[in-house]
Amino acid sequence: MKVKIGIFLCDCGGSLKNIDFPEISRSVQEIEDIAFVDISHNLCLEEGRKAIASRILGKNVNRVVIAACSPASCEHNFIRLLEGLNFNPNLLSIANIREQCSWAHEGNVTGKALDLVGMAINKARLLQPVERKEIPVNKEVLVVGGGFCGMKSALELSQLGIRTTVVEREPILGGRLSELEGFYGFEISPKEMLSSMGEEVKKDANIEMLTSAEITRVEGDAGNFSVRIKRGVKEDSRDFGALIFATGCKAEILPRYFELSPGSKIISQRELVEILQAPAKLERRPEVIGFILDIADENSRLPSLLALNAALAVKNKLGSEVYVFCKNLKVDSEGVEKLYQEARNRGVVFVKFEEKPRISERNGRVKVEAEDILFGEEVSVYCDFLVAEEKGLPSEGTEALASILNTGVDSQGFCQDENVYLYPVGSGRKGVFFVGACRGNLDAARASLDVGSAVMNVYELLALGKAVVEVEKVKVDPQKCRACLTCIRVCPHRAIRLVKVDDEKWTAKIYDLACDGCGICAAICPAKAINFEGYADEQILAEVEAMEWQYGRE
Amino acid sequence: MSRFLPKSKRWNGSMGGNNKIVAFCCENSAYLAADRAGKMRLHYPDNVRIIRVPCAGRVDVLHILRAFEKGAAGVLVMGCQEGACQHLTGNIRARERVRYIESALKEIGIDTRRVKMVNLGPDMAQKFVREVKEMVEKIEEE
Repeated sequence: MKVKIGIFLCDCGGSLKNIDFPEISRSVQEIEDIAFVDISHNLCLEEGRKAIASRILGKNVNRVVIAACSPASCEHNFIRLLEGLNFNPNLLSIANIREQCSWAHEGNVTGKALDLVGMAINKARLLQPVERKEIPVNKEVLVVGGGFCGMKSALELSQLGIRTTVVEREPILGGRLSELEGFYGFEISPKEMLSSMGEEVKKDANIEMLTSAEITRVEGDAGNFSVRIKRGVKEDSRDFGALIFATGCKAEILPRYFELSPGSKIISQRELVEILQAPAKLERRPEVIGFILDIADENSRLPSLLALNAALAVKNKLGSEVYVFCKNLKVDSEGVEKLYQEARNRGVVFVKFEEKPRISERNGRVKVEAEDILFGEEVSVYCDFLVAEEKGLPSEGTEALASILNTGVDSQGFCQDENVYLYPVGSGRKGVFFVGACRGNLDAARASLDVGSAVMNVYELLALGKAVVEVEKVKVDPQKCRACLTCIRVCPHRAIRLVKVDDEKWTAKIYDLACDGCGICAAICPAKAINFEGYADEQILAEVEAMEWQYGRE
Repeated sequence: MSRFLPKSKRWNGSMGGNNKIVAFCCENSAYLAADRAGKMRLHYPDNVRIIRVPCAGRVDVLHILRAFEKGAAGVLVMGCQEGACQHLTGNIRARERVRYIESALKEIGIDTRRVKMVNLGPDMAQKFVREVKEMVEKIEEE
């Protein structure tokens, strides 16, 4: 079909005074295939949009160039307008003559504006329509991990009317919640919370529980995952629309940081909780309990938080003297500053050291010697128990999970290698979310936020039961594809898969819903087999070539 | 295919100074930074032509070389900051390609400073302007 381009120039209410619009209109009209050039004062307003509609329908153009403000601020309006006219929005090309031309330079910039319009025209000439289609998505969600985050995600999804299946590796729900004694920021104790949440989960008709089960394989893409779940010897395949992973962390004492090996007197958090839950079992009430932090890891907020919680619990239940040896206490989580104040008020003593304290065992007690840098004095304390710092580590099987999902892990081995600032709970793959401790978010308040955020994302993706995709916006030409797997390797969103064309030939295929449209595959393909409509090679080159002038040799 | 279009059909530039610079800008960061520079009325030389790409990783060696072939005095590839790419590795791949172009330019005896990879965030209008000015100054020096 012959290209007919309609051009709309907008002078932004007459404010772009350093561009000569009639001059641009005259110059552009000399180019071939131009149906009309309109100068408008405000394309973004109602009357401007009406003018666009009547001109496009009246002149029967098949490409539109709009020279106006930045596409970042106006593109979506024009796309909606064109969709309403049954005009494929992919045939629109925008020249940014306001932010990047009129406003950015002094003096008359008609020349540059003309160049920008020319670039847009050159590109528009090559644009092809891209069909938009609704595809069905599965509304069921799989939550892996039945701890605090897992149960909370399932309950919140159920409130939104989304059916959820929770898979838990252990025979009972709860995860590490049972290991905690009193948690700041929550009014009820972890034990009560666990039992009440467990009850709710059991009662909820929208939630299905699968304990002692593991996932072994994940196939498919956002909206249509197929997951193999292994339960005992049985293994079956089920379909889900989205996956939420709340596989938690494990906390361990790293013995290599202690001169004395953890034994009867150097104990872990969990052992302290056992003592606190049954103080009667002790021979005598411990008089002094010490906590030591910041030896193995200076960068984790979990040990600080746990130590403060435990210190208060000790004060409440045993009334012992409590010393906390720390380098820099991390109080950046929500409410921890207050917790620290409370601990101080209750008589917990904080000793800030710079050099590693010396720990020795004497007469059945643990002697801790440290230099308090605030007082400049040597402090030595005999503790009945020294509670060692525990480091939050990725739980067992995280690596296996990452390989099942084909996603990466971060430098510490936690689940998320996705850009955590842009997509807090997302992963490289659409429809796969990580919440709570499995992505290194090691405190309860942050983990709760994660859950809310993931649930919102899932709802956005699945709530309508369908999703709109641009069909084959990025497309592999099976004739050119040599199945070298380069694109599959580089795709940050894991949207490319190898499929069989016939008995001998394989080709890469891009899944529309999983694709985020970055075009990395199109740039890297050695055979140039991938066409990214809108940013195809020829379209970018057409823009580049519009600039040829000074050394204009053909 | 544009390069096979008859010359009369194509737009080959109107006027403007010598020494045009092509800036491939990622639409998630650098393009927004350029917009912001306009909004803040930070003036920069008007011989820079910005081409919007969905990610710096979309910019191919071919695109940069074609820009030089058609007479661009310099090429800037502008993407997100490292570690903050919307598509994880796009800016790193762009950097690799720019390095490759640098080596190719060196081989044929062209100053490697004519091509540069710039990392900026969507609000770094000043840095955008500084980089453009620097490029223009470098080219005028020669």
